[in-house]
Amino acid sequence: MKILLIEDDPETAAHIVYALDGAGHDVTVCHDGLEGLEAARAGGHAALIVDRMLPGLDGLSLVRKLRDEANTIPALFLTTMSGLDDRVEGLQAGGDDYLVKPFAFPELLARVQAITRRGNAPSSEPVRLCAGDLEIDLIRRTVQRAGKAIDLQAQEFRLLEYLMRNMGRVVTRTMLLENVWDLHFDPRTNIVETHLSRLRGKVDRGFGSELIHTVRGSGYILRAE
Amino acid sequence: MRNRFFRTEGFRLSALFAAVFALSFVILGGFVLVITNQALRDQILAFSATDIAAIRDGYAHEGVHEAREVINQLMAAPASSGFYLLQQDGKVLDGNLPAMSPRAGTLEISASDHQILGTGAFLAPGLYVFSGSNTTRLNAVQSHLLNVMMGLFAAALLLAVAGGALVSRGFLRRTDAMATACRDIMNGNLKLRIPVRGTGDELDRLAEAINAMLSRIAALMENLSQVSNDIAHDLRTPVTHLRHRLERAQADSKTLGDHRAALEAAIAKADEILGLFAALLRIAQIEGGARRAAFAALDLGALLIQMRELFEPVAEEAGHTLELTNPETLTIRGDRQLLVQLLSNLIENAIVHTPQGTRIRLSLARDHDRAVVRVSDDGPGVPQEEHERLFRRLYRREASRSQPGYGLGLALAAAVAELHGADISIVEGPGLVVEISFPLPSASL
Repeated sequence: MKILLIEDDPETAAHIVYALDGAGHDVTVCHDGLEGLEAARAGGHAALIVDRMLPGLDGLSLVRKLRDEANTIPALFLTTMSGLDDRVEGLQAGGDDYLVKPFAFPELLARVQAITRRGNAPSSEPVRLCAGDLEIDLIRRTVQRAGKAIDLQAQEFRLLEYLMRNMGRVVTRTMLLENVWDLHFDPRTNIVETHLSRLRGKVDRGFGSELIHTVRGSGYILRAE
Repeated sequence: MRNRFFRTEGFRLSALFAAVFALSFVILGGFVLVITNQALRDQILAFSATDIAAIRDGYAHEGVHEAREVINQLMAAPASSGFYLLQQDGKVLDGNLPAMSPRAGTLEISASDHQILGTGAFLAPGLYVFSGSNTTRLNAVQSHLLNVMMGLFAAALLLAVAGGALVSRGFLRRTDAMATACRDIMNGNLKLRIPVRGTGDELDRLAEAINAMLSRIAALMENLSQVSNDIAHDLRTPVTHLRHRLERAQADSKTLGDHRAALEAAIAKADEILGLFAALLRIAQIEGGARRAAFAALDLGALLIQMRELFEPVAEEAGHTLELTNPETLTIRGDRQLLVQLLSNLIENAIVHTPQGTRIRLSLARDHDRAVVRVSDDGPGVPQEEHERLFRRLYRREASRSQPGYGLGLALAAAVAELHGADISIVEGPGLVVEISFPLPSASL
């Protein structure tokens, strides 16, 4: 996948290029906001990774300009860790996700995956999602596996829905905390692990194959074999 | 000093006051002079009219002879200051004035050293009579009046200037005291405050506003210096640990597996250090108060239900129970994200720091105009003397040093509570009970 990275700090840029390169992506780097805007306008990239603070033109204005020009390239903001409001501002400016620096590489890869798939998602909202013999009805909020109804609590349903919407892709612990529970800090207890283990107990236990897998060092993935 | 004195606001105000006072005094004095002059002239004319009437009366009854008789009587009257003239066809018949061209009505005649004001009249064609008085007396009254007024004016002006000087001296002394205090504070005496007299006047109000500002600045500076101290002192420990770990890995790792394990441990340690940084910065940011703009109406009861749903499985996994006792619907204004973090920290503390089988309870109740949230557990609790210290940054109890965490959970909770105008405290109870009392927006708001 061709990715445009706009980041002025050479060391950060080198690390990101290294990580994306290792995952098989082709990265173009711009070190300046105006240069980055031109490169984004030229097109040909599947995703945009843009730092909030840039010389020439800041990241927020850059993405805002692109959106004003009806450019829908998926954009991931990189921000420093002190900004509590950065997330909201980034999403309001038209960003698809945000990532707080410093971040772990698996986190970056998972987020890039997530925003690029989002761009290709069917325009009409699905009514039901399926993974192998697991099926969830988004309207009636029901779940069944191999024809057997499974009773889930509201939070378990949201967790399963998020995993199914990202089927075949790794989702990180932080992505789950943010998107399922709207938690934007690092909890000290194993909230994600506990809820996932409960969900597994209901969705996977007693069935022939497991759908929810742990990806060591990265997160989780829901995959139908 | 001299120069500064004249430049004070007090002096400027009293000078302006004196000038306005002087102007009004001059206008008023002018009026008085004009009015008294007019009154005195009217009086003279009234006298001469009476004289003329008497002479006319004499002439009407007994002719010229009687008219002359009346004039002579008037001139001979004791303390007479009058001037009279009776002339026939330009020839003086009687009186103490030389002949003049006859004119009826009010006349003012110039004599060698004085002015005469009076009334002229014709008794018969060719027979002219004049009666008047010297205006010197009038002028004397006027000049006397003028002297009195000048004296009063000078005295009043002197009082105004002296009063103004006193006022500006006092004003100057107080502003000097304020300026001195400000300079001392700038020079590093941060505990000093501007003196307040307690009269509640404008200078006091100014001093109080400055003092409030100074207190806020002092608090922020203390906060800042504490954060930098924390970072300097407390980050050294984990960074040093990280270094030791890497050194040992370099020396001891034999296999690829050893290397990998050492690197993983180092990454985990680095993550911990970054987490500590993030938490410290977040507390500082919350204490800065910048988040208040993101406040919105928020139902505490619904929030507690979500918190219970979130942590109930976690508590159960750790062998605890988490209960929520019938929460009311109480709406406050707040930042949801931060309140979630506050409550999470308290609940996680209870889960992490209590023995298995502990009951953790969440509750929400209304107490007059406050919404009171309690997170309590029936664990061993914390001794009273440690309660205050629990909210300090990086304070960790001896007993909990082996547990994960940075000792920032309650400090962050306190910062979030303060941002919301809420009181957070540890209350008496079996186990540990943390109470947060939020102000409810009053109905008028």
